Formats: sequence, C-alpha cells, structure tokens
Amino acid sequence: MQILCSVATRGRYQTTLPLVLSAIINQTRLPDKLVIFDDNDEPQDMRENPMYRHLFAMMDIKGLKWEWLFAEKKGQHHIHQKANTMGYDWVWRCDDDAIPEPNVLEQLCSYIDTTVGAIGGSILTLPHIFDTSKSTGKIKDIDLEPNIQWGNIYVTKEVEHLHCSFLYRAAIHDYNLGLSRVAHREETLFTWGLKQKGYKILAVPNAVTWHFKNPEGGIRSETKQEMFAHDEQIFRNFLQYRDSNIIVLNCGLGDHIVFNSILDSIPNPMVFGCYPEIIPCRSIAEAKSLFGDLDQWNIYKKMDQWKWTDSLENAYKKLYL
Amino acid sequence: MIIISPYAKPLIKGGVNPKTPGVDYWKELIALIDEPIVQVGVEGEEQLVPDFRKNLTMPELKKLIAQCRTWIGIDSFFQHLAWDQGKPGIVLWSVSDPLIFGHPENINLLADRKYLASNQFLWWDYTPHNVDAFVKPEEVIKFL
Repeated sequence: MQILCSVATRGRYQTTLPLVLSAIINQTRLPDKLVIFDDNDEPQDMRENPMYRHLFAMMDIKGLKWEWLFAEKKGQHHIHQKANTMGYDWVWRCDDDAIPEPNVLEQLCSYIDTTVGAIGGSILTLPHIFDTSKSTGKIKDIDLEPNIQWGNIYVTKEVEHLHCSFLYRAAIHDYNLGLSRVAHREETLFTWGLKQKGYKILAVPNAVTWHFKNPEGGIRSETKQEMFAHDEQIFRNFLQYRDSNIIVLNCGLGDHIVFNSILDSIPNPMVFGCYPEIIPCRSIAEAKSLFGDLDQWNIYKKMDQWKWTDSLENAYKKLYL
Repeated sequence: MIIISPYAKPLIKGGVNPKTPGVDYWKELIALIDEPIVQVGVEGEEQLVPDFRKNLTMPELKKLIAQCRTWIGIDSFFQHLAWDQGKPGIVLWSVSDPLIFGHPENINLLADRKYLASNQFLWWDYTPHNVDAFVKPEEVIKFL
C-alpha cells in the first residue's frame, strides 16, 4: 500500500509551511512520498533557504522521498486531482497551515480496509474548539451543525463528508474541476462523492491536526465573492440531487445504446445525455450548468484512466453500479 | 435481405475514418454478395447499392433491422443498435478493439490485433487509415 502526502501551498513560505513539513517528517508512519505543490504567484527555489535546506536534508536522511512541483495557479482542486491520479493507493492531503500531531497518519492508516474511502481526524482551530459530539456528519445536516472535525472526536463515527485534511483512497472519485479558483466546498464535494460511490467516510479519534488559521496567504487567498457564490451553487445543486444517481452521457450514439442496457440496474437515475431518442434525458448543457465539470462522468476518460481492456458495458457498470 | 452500414462518423479534421475500410473495399465485398442489400447511412455518404436509405429515424432503423436476415457493419453505432435489437451480424474491425467495443453475439472480424490503436479512448483523427487492417472481402463472405 503506497501513500502519497500532498501539500498545496500559497503565500506561506515563511509562516506555517515549514511547520507543516516538519510535522510530516516527524510522523510515526511516514508517507511513501511527499509532494509540495507550490501555487505561489512568484515561486521561489526553497533549496536556497537555510531552514528549508535542513528540512529537505531531514527528509533525505529519513528516507522520505519528496518532490517540489510548481502548480498551475488554477486552484487547489486542480492540485488535489493531480495528486489523486499520481498512481498511489492513498493520498494524505495536508493543508499548509494545519499541523498534524506525530501519530496522525499512523492513526488514520489503522482504519484502512476495503470498505473505507476516506478517514479524517480533528482539525482544531484555536482558540475555538467546538463541541461536535452531537454532529452527525451527514450531508443533509451540513447547514445545521458544526463540522465534526472542528472539535475533539471521541469515538469513530461514519460520516458523509470531511474537510481540510484527511487520508483518502486515490483514483476512485474525481475532484470537481468546474469549481472556481477558490475551490469552495471542494473537499466536501469530493468526500461526498466517495461516499456516493459506496465507500465509508470515517471521522476518527486520536488524530489531531492543529489549524494555525492565518488570514495571510493560503490556497484560497481569493476574495471575489462571485467565485464563492459560483461554487456554492454547484454544491447546492449536488445536494439537491443527492438522492439521485446522476448519469452524464457526454458520448456517442452507440455508447448511449450500450449504456441503456444497464440503466434498469441503477436506482433513481437522473440522466443527462445527447440522444433523448435512445434514453429520455436532460441536456449536457444543463448538466454542465448544474454540476460544473463533467469529467467525472466521461466514460472514455475513465477507461483511459483505468487502462481498461474489458467491455464498454462493464466500464459503465464500474462507473455507475 | 441484408443491411450494410459502411461508414463511421466523419473525422473532425476530415478524411476517411480509420474504422471504415473505404469505398473500394465495400464495392469489392458487395460484388461477392448474392442477395438483396439495403445500405443505411446519412446524407453525404457515397451510395454503394441501389437501395440506399438515408437519415432513417430510430424506429425506422429498428424496423429494418427486424426485417433483415443479417447485416454487415463496422464499429459504429449501428452494431450497438442491432445488438440491442437482438439481431446478430458481422462487424469489420480495424483499429478499435472488439473486446472493448464489440459484442460477443456478433461475428467480429479483426485481421490482426497488431493493427489496434495503442490508445483506444482518443479521437480517431490521428490514427492512420489502413485498409490492410481489415479482413479481406473474400474471407468476410465465408461468414455470411
């Protein structure tokens, strides 16, 4: 089992990023690789910085493979999607201002089994620690309760979404690249997507990360309200259709015919497609408007990603059943 | 009566789609068939037999499929439609993989897997057309 640790960073070279890297280096269970995605407007070569030189030397001595990649400045969802598809079994995503205690990765890993899609611990933002003991972590309650990770977690709880930092099963669900650069709600949509694909999402005790909230820097350092509004609308649209299986057939006529053979096996389908004469459907344009990016439903992209050699029909079953 | 569905969707950049063997191949194959043939396709495609039915609606195509003895096609929507209607036929393959895009109920004729495109999931615009990738007409006719 190979674990990638990804850190997306922006504007925090000299504040919390070195603390985060130090905390990762000092994990009781090291990841198999650490990738720092540098999303700064003016990226620097941190090998020239004495403090970073020491951190990199510690990584080398401890056998922690690392890589510093310059990101595309399109937002952290693009970064996370890159990490998601780098060929690792699991990805531990760490924010650049959230400092994990030394046991966090080991503790999260102890919950890995074939049924689990993501595992998160407490993310404590000082000075406020919420009482989240009554939080359900259900998506339907997201507007009614504090996030379960904002407080101490005393018992393992199966939830429906996580935020900030967590360990997740890679290459199962895509990040929504239709979100704006601020990527508001990206992790909620992502973990909810894993849940919808049938995996358990767990909030677990004894895995505390300290969130050094800092208004300066950060991967979401955009203030344009319209970006947040855009992303919030996409999120609300997903919520609205949460009891439906969203199906998007942005593909050819023959593909529609093949898909049609499995449609009856899918409960509560909500189909968006190109050929209503084959399958009654709403338009692709409407799907794009509602859900942002449609790549997560692109069967050809998926088959390419999966290096698929089985039938198209079975590829559809893998995607939707 | 048999149906032929000779062409695939035109390439975005123009030129012959590598999934279709081309007009000369089809003429050679048609010359070997000794029963009535109906060609189906869309406006703009080259007519190969006297009875060319263009731009049929889905119900019209299904009705025609129900009436035919069998059909010969390529890797286009038609092979999926005929499969969906429970009518087996012959599919002429070249660069796309019958194990992925075909149906075992059909006779899937592929000259050699060495002709398959290395990436099956991209547009076909950059895959060269090669008539040698298709099983020869005199071999196809043995399966009819």
